[in-house]
Amino acid sequence: MAQQKTQVADVDRSLYDFVKSEKGYERYADGLTPDIVRAISAKKDEPQWMLDMRLEALEVFHDKQMAPNWGPSIAGLDMDHISTYVSPKTKQAKDWNDVPKDIKDTFERLGIPQAERESLAGVGAQYDSEIVYHNMREEVAKYGVVYTTIEDALHDPKWEPVVHEYFGKLIPMRDHKFAALHYAVWSGGSFVYVPAGVTVEYPLQSYFRLNAQGAGQFEHTLIIVEPGANLHFIEGCSAPKYYEANLHAGAVELYVKDGARLRYSTIENWSKNMYNLNTKRAKVGKDAQMEWVSGSFGSHVSYLYPTTILQGDRSSCEFTGITFAGATQDLDTGCKVILNGADTTASVETKSISKDGGINTFRSSVVVGPKAQNARCTVSCQSLMLDNISRSDTIPAMDVRNPTASVGHEATIGRISDDTILYLMSRGCSEAEARTMVVNGFANPVSKELPLEYAVEMNNLIKLEMEGAIG
Amino acid sequence: MATNEAQATQATVTLERVNTPPAQTWNYLRANDITLTVPNLSRKGDVYFALPQLFDRIQTGMGPKVTQWVTSQAADSTYVEVPAHTVRTQPIVVDIDAQKGQVADTGVMVREGATATVVVIAHGNSDTDVASAALTRIVAEANTHVHLYEFVAVGQHHTHLESVGIDADDDAVLDVRQFLLGGSTSAVGFAAALSGDNARIDLKTRYLARGNETLDINHVVRQLGKKTRAEIHESGVLDGSAHKSLRATIDLVHGAKGSKGNEAENVLVCGENVVNKTVPVILCDEDDVQGNHGATIGSVGPDQIHYLEDRGLSFDEIEDLYVRAIFDDAVIQSPTVDARHAVLARAEEVLGAEIADDLLAGLDIEEQLLDQSDSAKEA
Amino acid sequence: MSDQLLCVEGLSAGTEDKPILHNINLTVGAGETHVLMGPNGAGKSTLGHVIMGDPVYKVTSGTITFDGADLTHEGPDKRSLAGIFLSYQAPVEVPGVPLYSFLRTITQKRPELRMTARQFRKRVGQIADQLDMDQSFLTRELNVGFSGGEKKKIEMLQLLLLQPKLAILDETDSGLDVDALTVVSRGIEAYRQACDGALLMITHNTRILEKLTVDRTHVMVKGNLVADGPASLIDDIDAHGFEQFERKAEAEGLTRGDA
Repeated sequence: MAQQKTQVADVDRSLYDFVKSEKGYERYADGLTPDIVRAISAKKDEPQWMLDMRLEALEVFHDKQMAPNWGPSIAGLDMDHISTYVSPKTKQAKDWNDVPKDIKDTFERLGIPQAERESLAGVGAQYDSEIVYHNMREEVAKYGVVYTTIEDALHDPKWEPVVHEYFGKLIPMRDHKFAALHYAVWSGGSFVYVPAGVTVEYPLQSYFRLNAQGAGQFEHTLIIVEPGANLHFIEGCSAPKYYEANLHAGAVELYVKDGARLRYSTIENWSKNMYNLNTKRAKVGKDAQMEWVSGSFGSHVSYLYPTTILQGDRSSCEFTGITFAGATQDLDTGCKVILNGADTTASVETKSISKDGGINTFRSSVVVGPKAQNARCTVSCQSLMLDNISRSDTIPAMDVRNPTASVGHEATIGRISDDTILYLMSRGCSEAEARTMVVNGFANPVSKELPLEYAVEMNNLIKLEMEGAIG
Repeated sequence: MATNEAQATQATVTLERVNTPPAQTWNYLRANDITLTVPNLSRKGDVYFALPQLFDRIQTGMGPKVTQWVTSQAADSTYVEVPAHTVRTQPIVVDIDAQKGQVADTGVMVREGATATVVVIAHGNSDTDVASAALTRIVAEANTHVHLYEFVAVGQHHTHLESVGIDADDDAVLDVRQFLLGGSTSAVGFAAALSGDNARIDLKTRYLARGNETLDINHVVRQLGKKTRAEIHESGVLDGSAHKSLRATIDLVHGAKGSKGNEAENVLVCGENVVNKTVPVILCDEDDVQGNHGATIGSVGPDQIHYLEDRGLSFDEIEDLYVRAIFDDAVIQSPTVDARHAVLARAEEVLGAEIADDLLAGLDIEEQLLDQSDSAKEA
Repeated sequence: MSDQLLCVEGLSAGTEDKPILHNINLTVGAGETHVLMGPNGAGKSTLGHVIMGDPVYKVTSGTITFDGADLTHEGPDKRSLAGIFLSYQAPVEVPGVPLYSFLRTITQKRPELRMTARQFRKRVGQIADQLDMDQSFLTRELNVGFSGGEKKKIEMLQLLLLQPKLAILDETDSGLDVDALTVVSRGIEAYRQACDGALLMITHNTRILEKLTVDRTHVMVKGNLVADGPASLIDDIDAHGFEQFERKAEAEGLTRGDA
């Protein structure tokens, strides 16, 4: 095979990499003090319990340490230089025409209004710390589906008790240091309630855009899918690139009640100055199904392990994920599954691609509790190395405490085999085409699970990436 | 070797978080390490005859804290050198009598082109809590062939620490068999560095943990040389309320071009209260390599069960067969009379005298043993 | 019917979602040799597995009586102890269990075969010699890493060791080279001589039958037994194939779906 010089291009981020002025925005001082926490709470005019929770969480944040023995370094993240609250001076709109022009322009360029018109049941768009647009189709609202912000739900006497009951229960503030930070300064996000038996035909989508420099985004997503209901929720996120660290520490709490089904899809495209320390967790009831589709492309450092607790008997979970780590990226991603109910099943399939010195770590845990009779779980994890300056580690853990359970794990790491490339080239493909074909094929099990526009976006990312490989 | 006869009156020391792998995971899973409390015999004023310093550079499975403790407790170290281009037929034996709380520090230098067999046997059973340890470090120079057999066959009141470190140079072949057959707490660390090109390791571990036994295993194979090969296979049976943790790491270091590492574990869980933890890690800092892991935990597969049922075995009998199979295998593989005795003594405790006799008689081993001991006498 | 060893009456069976066998009636007397033939996919192997009690298949009607006892609802281990042996077409690999441990355990399970370890070792040695098997096989894991021919020999070794009343040999001849086929034929002969055991040979190939005295031939098409005859039926099939039976089945409206 002809040895061609491999010239490696970076992922084309021009789609995401544009900055809008922050002039006239409300921006709280950098750092973390009880005063800042009180100010955020006061601005949101919250119930006392929420303020108490924020202040307690702040203390927990200061007490907690990061584990010294694992995970990527977050030394570049200095909380004294992060503003935890930045808000454009605008009210939440229900019509894109009421959204300030440069913000509207941002979301237009990300294709959100178009997707809303074509294929979504509702959209929430967050810009820095606040939701700037929120709307849901009439016919969905008619069935009693609620899709709003946590802030609005807290101001509604009907939903305030519901938020109080569920908020912060699945992901406790003591879970880890950045969960505590999240509860101290959370702002924005979504509250979704799907009544029993209701199937939401089209997905709901929230898009999170962090425009401000040296800032953090701490949205909270709380979704309750009542018994027998069915929902697909999509989350997208991006940011322009800065040379100062940005921080994303969101929390996603998902309650999937008996017989319900929830699919939660994420395409994360944060810029390479982002520390993404996000926490997602789902609790799944009897006969219910949880499906995760997760694409992680951006961030400087990620700690991301969506967790599923299969509490109810016969509940199931499917996790499909792909992580793409390029230059300067250290992405520690994976998932956790806890099988507590009898006859529960979980299947995890992940792919990772490393190039340009990027570091990928797949980290997972499967815990089978003593009551999980006949629980079944399979984990399959494949890693592709595109050059010899990158790194890929696989660190799965299994803890099985029921003798009738069966857990299988398989992992492979390697590069595209020369034989495969030779075979494809002998059939007339160029080397670049052959490599693109193989990488797309590798990513296909994930991209086929994504909503169409995201699948196209992902394939474009890979294609752009591979095009640089022509000598 | 030291004999800690009057253990009850001695001070103890706690070895915090030992037997750790190179890459760790969430601490709340409690799968990263083990903490052990062991005797701390004062040897103030004694001269310690340490191994040549080059052994200090060898990474061991249980790590430096355990190495340090072993060298503080062992009365002496044992250094064995196998000359270049020789075949040593007499195995190098490290015999640990757990009842006496023996602690051994052994260094083996296998010179270029030599062949050697190293056997580490921990055996013995008494009613008192005793801790024993074997630290074995081996240098396998180029073109050597090293067989290492480890038998941990101590009784239900014993704590045994077994730490191994091997460095393999170009074209060295390491063939390692571990039989971990019991002990109140067995902590077994194994680290091999395939430093030279074309070095190869086959590591086969069979384990049984039952009752309230704790078994903590840390396997680390670092592949540094080009075209190195690691084949790691663990299989075992867990019964009763046994706690097992297995950490198995294949570390494909930058520059290990053309290397392959495979690891697979099969576990049969019989006991209702078993805790079975497995962390199979692949670290990869090189693209021209292949790393594979596979683990299956739980019952034997439905195909196997059905085949064995078709031959007349009930489910319980199938589980018994798997336990017996471990001992059969250990007896078959035993390279020395003492190793067989250790296995059979343990088999007698686990399976009863009848099956233990059956193991011995069925494989014509008795005759072989007699032959061997006869020839030993003649020699 | 009580003089018959195996008596399958009105048996229908299949997987959860698909019926395979339809109203099968088949009897095999003690010491008799029967041949079950039919094209690929006719359900021959399924019948063998259903007689053995494979949990993959559910019996929807009918009974399986063996040696005077109704075994329809018994597990495979009970059927094995009652004296039925099924030789697998593709013997399952059982990692972690040396062949020796396995053979010793299944022998000790049968009171009539109990012997000392020493006697056992000798017996296994004799059989292994008979089958041209190297005794080092014994210390290797059951069926793991053995070639197809070696796996079949291990099945024959078990057959000769256990001496069942009925041996169902499922495509034992498939994929064997001439030498292995000779050894397997020798094994079958030895089994017939040693204990006068009954045989149900499942095959679509007449080669292995040349050395056997066949008492009865059955033809299966699409899950139905469509013909029954003396040994000479084999020659007929050899000459004309299964087409005649397939046509007949079609004419009678016997299809897979109409259980």
